[in-house]
Amino acid sequence: MADYTNYTNKEMQAVTIAKVIENGQIVIVGTGLPLIGASLAKRVFAPGCQLIVESGLMDCSPIEVPRSVGDNRFMAHCAVQWPNVRFIGFEANEWLHDNDRLIAFIGGAQIDPYGNVNSTSIGDYHHPKTRFTGSGGANGIATFANTVIMMQHEKRRFMDKIDYITSPGYIDGPDGRAKMGLPTNRGPQMVVTDRGIMKFDEKTKRMYLAGYYPTSSPEDVIEHTGFEIDVSRAVALDAPDPEVIRMIREEIDPGQAFIQVPKD
Amino acid sequence: MEKVLTLSEAISKYVHSGDNICFGGFTTNRKPYAAAREILRQGLTDFIVYAGPAGGDWDMMIGEGRVKAYINCYTADSGVTNVSRRYRKAYEEGKLIMEDYSQDAVMMMLHAASLGLPFLPVRLMMGSSLVDMWGISKEVRKTIPKLPEDKFVYIDNPFNPGEKVVALPVPKLDTAIIHVQKAAPDGTCSIEGDEFHDVDIAVAAKNVIVTCEELVSNEQIRLDPTKNSIPPFCVSAVVHAPFGAHPSQCYNYYDYDNPMLKEYGEASKTEEDFKAFVDKYVYGPKTHEDYLDLVGASRLVGLYNVPGYGYATKELKK
Repeated sequence: MADYTNYTNKEMQAVTIAKVIENGQIVIVGTGLPLIGASLAKRVFAPGCQLIVESGLMDCSPIEVPRSVGDNRFMAHCAVQWPNVRFIGFEANEWLHDNDRLIAFIGGAQIDPYGNVNSTSIGDYHHPKTRFTGSGGANGIATFANTVIMMQHEKRRFMDKIDYITSPGYIDGPDGRAKMGLPTNRGPQMVVTDRGIMKFDEKTKRMYLAGYYPTSSPEDVIEHTGFEIDVSRAVALDAPDPEVIRMIREEIDPGQAFIQVPKD
Repeated sequence: MEKVLTLSEAISKYVHSGDNICFGGFTTNRKPYAAAREILRQGLTDFIVYAGPAGGDWDMMIGEGRVKAYINCYTADSGVTNVSRRYRKAYEEGKLIMEDYSQDAVMMMLHAASLGLPFLPVRLMMGSSLVDMWGISKEVRKTIPKLPEDKFVYIDNPFNPGEKVVALPVPKLDTAIIHVQKAAPDGTCSIEGDEFHDVDIAVAAKNVIVTCEELVSNEQIRLDPTKNSIPPFCVSAVVHAPFGAHPSQCYNYYDYDNPMLKEYGEASKTEEDFKAFVDKYVYGPKTHEDYLDLVGASRLVGLYNVPGYGYATKELKK
């Protein structure tokens, strides 16, 4: 009998993502953890959610785990295969119509206290230490949709000032988005890391610790955050249900495309 | 009009060094790899590239030094490598001139080109380094006649004064190359699955080369025009190139060749291994048919998509 109580931080992260998604929401997913989380949400926590991807595929229900947002595994069995520009137009129109249905997952290499995310390069932009893939659809998503940001929680990634803003968050505080001409009723809702959940203060729009995992603690989060973070509101989060872990390992990502199962 | 040419004829007739060029497809899906390999073989270079979501196709071109300026939003064989290695290396070492736009911006710029618009107003990129940072300065842009002098300009929405929007330049494409499932000799194309930005660039570009899995008759392709997305007069040349997207995937036909994409990902980590890879798979075979022989029939048929799935599922073999 396999052991499903030995969950990893990545699995905890995926389960946390899944619990964020609500019935009726349209979820912009990429690949990796967000896809695992969203697939789990569709099975367990919010069966009425619908998945879309930036390549233009609408209401996806992949049977096998796709490796890219343009993968045939996403294409097959979706409702509509729109060209990418239709997705972009849809995203903007959701905002123009004041619809609040979209929730999106983005990732990054660096984040600042206001939820601005860098997924472009580390170091000087013109002479980078490390150059990444490029922005992909993340900038448009961060402009028009509420986001949940996926990060690895390390001091060198949680910085007061990041090297490049790929996806705007609250810029420098409550008026930041308005000053820049960005939709003011959109922005990052939450940061999900391998140590816990960060949310943004309603008044200051600064990140605070909202919840930590059984494997973590407020002290641990402070130690691994490169800026001052308020932990006074943090609550301890429950360990994931073993049945949910079984589902991830046996049904959602059996090939371990994105989540490695710990070896006995 | 008959437009069927060999791959070699089509590339030498319609692709020129220095062209503004765009490939269809999306990272590891329906990338016109056969055409890309032939461009490399013919030694064409100095391209101004409007790369949509790119992968190994443009990584190889960059690795072989064929790109003069790279307009980009994403470059990786997603799910295989986190970033394409030749591209990363060239940029980190200051050997690649490039401009970052968001993917939405690039896709809409190509769409705007298909609509013949003079410029494109968007609300994208504001509040981000995508507007604050320019990869290619005004001074450098002035030395490349085919690039607009500005990455973008801020303008006031004329219909809502006080609202700042980003005006983007619209590319003037010389050449578009796309790979489709079916094409007819007159140029009519049928794309199955997501068209991505392929129809946009086919309308926008001066010269359009289509490579296809199946060459079907002009009469046959018209039996159900709802399945067609590119009319004959948008296409300059049609090339019959089965598995022309290999090692990327092609909806309803074949899956990506993941071991080959991995092999490329590994090889492209060093200059030497990359050279060995392109010597073996690009310059070694003289034609696309030679390339298919090199890859091997059983490997290729092993990639066939399972009807009803759209990819080479392992589910049925359980």
